[in-house]
Amino acid sequence: MLSFEAKYRQEAMEVPARASFGLLKIWIGRFYLGFWGVVALVFGVLGSGVWFWQVLFVDPNRTNNPLLNFIRGQIYPPPPEVGLSITFDGSKGFWWLFVVFCATVTFFAWMMRQIDISRLLKIGYQVPIAFGAVLSSWVTIQILRPILLGKWSEGFPLGVIPHLDWLSAFGYRYYNFFYNPFHAIGITLLFGSAFVLSLHGATILSAARKKSEGVTEENVNRFYWDFFGYSIGEVGIHRLAFWAAVLSVLMSNLCFVLSGTVVQDWSGFWNFWDYAPWWKGFGFN
Amino acid sequence: MATEVYRESFERRTKTVRYIRFLEGLADTQVGPIYLGMWGALALFSYLLCVFITAIGFGEQVGYNPIRFLRELPVLTLYPPPPSQGLRMAPLQEGGYWQLATLFLSLTLVFWTIRIWTRAVANGLRPMVPIAFSAALFLYAAIYIIHPIWVNSWNEAPPHGLRGILLWTNHFSVKYGNFYYNPFHMLSIYGLLGSTLILAMHGGTILATLAYGAHREIDEIEKSDEGTHRSQLLWRWVMGFNATAYSIHQWALGFATLTAVAGALGVLFSGPVEPNWYLWACRAGITPAVQAACAP
Repeated sequence: MLSFEAKYRQEAMEVPARASFGLLKIWIGRFYLGFWGVVALVFGVLGSGVWFWQVLFVDPNRTNNPLLNFIRGQIYPPPPEVGLSITFDGSKGFWWLFVVFCATVTFFAWMMRQIDISRLLKIGYQVPIAFGAVLSSWVTIQILRPILLGKWSEGFPLGVIPHLDWLSAFGYRYYNFFYNPFHAIGITLLFGSAFVLSLHGATILSAARKKSEGVTEENVNRFYWDFFGYSIGEVGIHRLAFWAAVLSVLMSNLCFVLSGTVVQDWSGFWNFWDYAPWWKGFGFN
Repeated sequence: MATEVYRESFERRTKTVRYIRFLEGLADTQVGPIYLGMWGALALFSYLLCVFITAIGFGEQVGYNPIRFLRELPVLTLYPPPPSQGLRMAPLQEGGYWQLATLFLSLTLVFWTIRIWTRAVANGLRPMVPIAFSAALFLYAAIYIIHPIWVNSWNEAPPHGLRGILLWTNHFSVKYGNFYYNPFHMLSIYGLLGSTLILAMHGGTILATLAYGAHREIDEIEKSDEGTHRSQLLWRWVMGFNATAYSIHQWALGFATLTAVAGALGVLFSGPVEPNWYLWACRAGITPAVQAACAP
C-alpha cells in the first residue's frame, strides 16, 4: 500500500454499493477486484488462453508455423460464405468469433471497472469515457462494420503480423487510404496528440523541482506567451489532451466504417471537387 | 540578473495583450505578448522566403491565375530534382524551387529551435521543450536531408504539396517492401499510438480530479496532495501500477520522443541498410508466408 492509501480504502468502503458497482469490494495486493474485475479476469483469461492455444498448437499444424512463434500466428475470421451466421465449426472461424466475443466482454468490463473505481474515489468519469472511445473502435471494426456488410469475414484476423497485413491490404482495397479524408484527419490528430504530449511532458519537466529558484506556473505562462503568443493554462492543456486523443480514435472509426459501405474508391471520392458548382462562374467546367 | 531585466521589459510589453472570450471556463484566454527577438525575426524571415518560393513555384504551374490556384491547390506540387541530377543544384523549374524552399524551411526549423531554447532559459526553465522539439527536427532532417545525401539523390526526399507528400509516403513505403514490415516503423507506430493512449490517460485523469486540484502539477510535484493521491490510486487499483505527478511527464516525453526517433531510423535504414523490409521480415520468420519464398 502507498503511504496515504489506507485512508482512501476506508473512504471507499463507505461508498454504498449500487447495481453492479461496489460489489466484491476487495483488494488483492495492489489490485482492486470488484464485480467487473471478476468479469474482466474470467473473459480475459479465457479469450487470451484460446488465442494462444490456437496460435501455438492448432495453427502451426495447418500453416507449417514453427511452434511458439506467436508473432506470425493468427486466428482467421469465418470465410465469406458463413455470412453473419454463428458457426460452431472450428475450421470455419468459430474460434475467431469466440475470441472476439471474449475480448469485447473483457474490454467492456474493463471500462465498467474504471467507472467502479472512479466512483469509489469520488472523481470524474473522464478516464472510462476515454477508454470507451477506443472500445468503440474495436466494436466498429470487428462487429459493426462486418454486420453492415453482412459477413464476419470483414473483421481482421487476430494475430500480430497478420493484422498488419490486413491493415495494409485494407488501405489499398479502397484504392488508397491516403486519399481518405477521415484517415487524414485521424492521422493529423494522432501526430497532434504525440506533439501535445511531447510539449506538455517537456514543459512540466522543465519547470519541475525548481521552486527554490522561484519557478512557478507563471514562468511557464510567460515562456509560452513569449515563443508562441498563447499559453493554454494548466486546466486547458488537459482538456486539449483529452479531446485530441479521443477525437483521433473517433475519426479513425469513421474512416473504417465508411469504407466498403458508402465509399468504394477514396480517390474517386474527390471527383466532386473538380466539378463543384462554384468553379463554373470562372470558366472552369 | 538577466531574468529581472527580462521581467521588466515583459511588464512594458503587456500593452499588446488581447483576450479570447469564448475560451472562458475552458482554457486561459490571454493572447500575447509574443516575443520577436533576433532568432524569431530570422525564423520568420526564412519561413516567409520558403512560402514565397513555394508560391512562385505553384504560381508558375497555374499561370498565376488565382482561381486555378485555389482549384488545383490540393494537387499542386514542387518536385525535387530528378534522380539524374543527384545532389547538384538543379534549374528552378526542375527542382531548383524545391531545393530553395527546402533550404529555407530547414533554416526556419533550426532558428525556431534556437528561439525556443533562448526563451526557455530567459524564463528560468530547463531547455526541455527545445530538446523534445529536436527529436522532431531529427525526423525532419532524416527524411529531407540525411537520407537523400546517404543515397546520393535529392529525388528521394518528399515533394512540397498536399497530395505530393501523401503520395511520397505511400511510394516510399512500397519502394522499400512495405513499411508495415519495417521494425523501426513498428516501434514508431507503437510510440505514436502509445503517445495517444498516454495523452488520453493523463488528460482524463487530471480532468477527473480537477475538483481536488491535481492540475496544479508543478506544486503537486513538490508536495503531492489529495488530487494526485486519488489519480495515483485510480491507476493502482485499475492496473496495479501508477506513475507519480513527476514520472508521468517522463513517460510522456519518452513515448513522444520514441515516435520521432524510431521513425527517423526507419527512414534512414531504408535502402542503404535494408532494401526490402518484406524480405527482412520473411528472413526473420515473422511473416505467415511460405519461408521458401523469401530466400534472398
